[in-house]
Amino acid sequence: MVKLRVKNLTKVYNGKKVLDNITFSVEDGEFLSILGSSGCGKTTLLRIIIGIESPTEGKITKNRKIITNEDPARRGMGIVFQDYALFPNMTVLGNVMYALNIKLKNKEKAKEESLKMLEMVNMKAHIKKYPHELSGGQKQRVAIARTLALEPDIILFDEPMSALDADNRLALRKEIKNIQEKLKTTMIYITHDQEEALSLSDRVMILNEGKIQQIDTPVEVFNNPKNEFVKNFVTNHLLEKVESINKCTGEIDYNEEKK
Amino acid sequence: MKKRSKLNILILLFLAISVFYPLIEMLIRVQWSDFGSLITSNAFKESFVNSLLVATIATSISILISYVLAYTLNRTNIKHRAILKVFLTLPMLIPSISHGLGLINLFGANGIISKWLGFNIIGMNGIIIGSILYSFPVAFLMLDDGFNYIDNNMYDSAKVLGLNKWQTFRQVTLCYLKKPIISAIFAVFTMIFTDYGVPLAVGGKFITLPVFLYKEVIGLLDFSKGTMIGLFLLIPAIISFLFDNFSKDFTNGEIKKKFIISSSKTKDIVLTMFVYLILMCIFIILGSFVYYAFVANTANNMSFSLQHFKYVFDNDVLENIYNSLLIAFMVSIFGTIIAYFTAYVTARIGGKSAKFIHILAISSLAIPGIVLGLSYTISFKNTFIYNTYTILILVNIVHFMASPYLMAYNALQKVNKNYEIVAKTCNINMFRAIKDIIIPCTKITIREMFAYFFVNSMVTISAVTFLFNTSTMPLSLLINNYEGNMMLGEAAIISLIILLFNVIVKGIVYLINRKEHKRSKINGAYI
Repeated sequence: MVKLRVKNLTKVYNGKKVLDNITFSVEDGEFLSILGSSGCGKTTLLRIIIGIESPTEGKITKNRKIITNEDPARRGMGIVFQDYALFPNMTVLGNVMYALNIKLKNKEKAKEESLKMLEMVNMKAHIKKYPHELSGGQKQRVAIARTLALEPDIILFDEPMSALDADNRLALRKEIKNIQEKLKTTMIYITHDQEEALSLSDRVMILNEGKIQQIDTPVEVFNNPKNEFVKNFVTNHLLEKVESINKCTGEIDYNEEKK
Repeated sequence: MKKRSKLNILILLFLAISVFYPLIEMLIRVQWSDFGSLITSNAFKESFVNSLLVATIATSISILISYVLAYTLNRTNIKHRAILKVFLTLPMLIPSISHGLGLINLFGANGIISKWLGFNIIGMNGIIIGSILYSFPVAFLMLDDGFNYIDNNMYDSAKVLGLNKWQTFRQVTLCYLKKPIISAIFAVFTMIFTDYGVPLAVGGKFITLPVFLYKEVIGLLDFSKGTMIGLFLLIPAIISFLFDNFSKDFTNGEIKKKFIISSSKTKDIVLTMFVYLILMCIFIILGSFVYYAFVANTANNMSFSLQHFKYVFDNDVLENIYNSLLIAFMVSIFGTIIAYFTAYVTARIGGKSAKFIHILAISSLAIPGIVLGLSYTISFKNTFIYNTYTILILVNIVHFMASPYLMAYNALQKVNKNYEIVAKTCNINMFRAIKDIIIPCTKITIREMFAYFFVNSMVTISAVTFLFNTSTMPLSLLINNYEGNMMLGEAAIISLIILLFNVIVKGIVYLINRKEHKRSKINGAYI
């Protein structure tokens, strides 16, 4: 079943087309990555999907209902930011509970739910801490728990790992994958990291200069890049990485063998 | 969406009624046919030249002093920086007229010091010294702040490039401080050019433009002439306003890596002595209030006496204290709320009207208090708020709004922009998010805004001078009255009372914020 459909979406800023006729759909429970370098329009697309900005043209449907001009609060989507956006004046538990408490109007129940979410992201031991006492990876876990708590049926990630170091990234990547498999929530994941996009997603959408270059499974994208841009941006980039790793380990050159 | 635009409209409406309308109304009522005879009159020419002369000299000295002070506190090994900074800004806590009063106490016709020296400084010299005294803390704070934003890496780079001290000063220090210095020059010049407190007290026969205006309006009730003079007072303020808004600031507002002090011992000692010399001047002025308050001070009786206190309290000073505190607290509360929400609209909501609101909100910076007060008298004379506390509170809010607005604007721009998006997706309404998240993140700034409104409402005489009546008269205007009648002891007591309340409010805010600051040093959460 199609969860979200974006049709002929265009966004013009000061006469410049930031997004140009974007059309795609996301299946229920799918993990879709939107991959592109900075300035390709991916963040604008995300802001339009969540409803903070409105498109110049085009329409968005969710569960077959048009939501193009729907209020962000009524879209049933959650968002996780690169800079976490945790409220500095609230504890870990407070952050997760805050919106839930307002929604449920029941403190006990909100707390119970929040603890469940914090347990899922392995942060139950830190519930009394304030954001400034946490590491980047821990902060991002809390932000994810906060988003999950409201049970959105689509979660958007805006480069959630860009501020983390390599170790934390790998760990958190696994956790996000686990959560997705467990909850089967539809996820749209924005990143500029080719490896991250390909390893996490069911499908990857490559965006450049406001246009979709290719939208396919990771294996397809890697093996059959549709155009020069995708070939350079994804395939060659990853092959170079492999090559440099092989130099260290002294293993066979994957690139050579393929030729 | 609806709530946001409602807030925008509400703020625009407030600014239109409280800033725009009175100014336009004032201009409409002017009899322009008199304009020619005004500017060709000797009285006008003389006072205009006097004002320019005094403001130019006093500004130059004031900026020099503030630069040396700011330099010493930031770039030498001077001890007790924090407390020195507090003491150096004490002059901001008393009305400008009190500085004139202090000078009369010391160097007037019968002053403590001038009596022995056989000369006095009534006239131009007095105005210059008084203007310096009351304006330098403002410039000092601006420059001190400027030093904070200089990137220490620039000095390291200069060293690597082999620049000498003079080159480094020109290429790095001056480059970063150019904007704060020019802003400070404009701010101080405008302050001095439009102030009538100091010249009224120590000017004697030396008439400056604001005094000329004051006398035309208060003495001769010539509002039209007053307005035309007021237009000339607007000139430096408008130039400074345009400069501040259209000059580029290339520091990004981030406090940079602290400068590593490498100062020679002689330099330390000389500059430290200079700081203490300035402090001594401040304390001599404040000390003169205490002396005059407790000494009978008649021709042949210089003994301790409480007669001035008795006189002041017999004349219902408690009522004036009540008036002042009521006005100051109301201005602080409502001013902070209005300035904060205005800044919220321009810094975080944005939209087409935001830029316009921003300009309107800071435009009050360009209107001298005396002109604003005059426009209120002319425009609101026949409304129900005339002769009430409301008009005094309103005029003060508008008069002092620009600085707290900018404080809030800067703080709110630093708060994570994604909080509202998170709140929106969680179905939390805007005001709730402001209350639960944004306000707690900016509480340090909010307290400082409150203190700014309070202190300025306590010391101002300019905007309120045409608007009070006997039952709403604030303390600061009593100084004017007593001083005019040469009741120096009584005037000194009033100055001390104002200082006391300001020290209390400033002190409380300082202590609470310092505690918070220490905590935020670890987490950087509160602004």
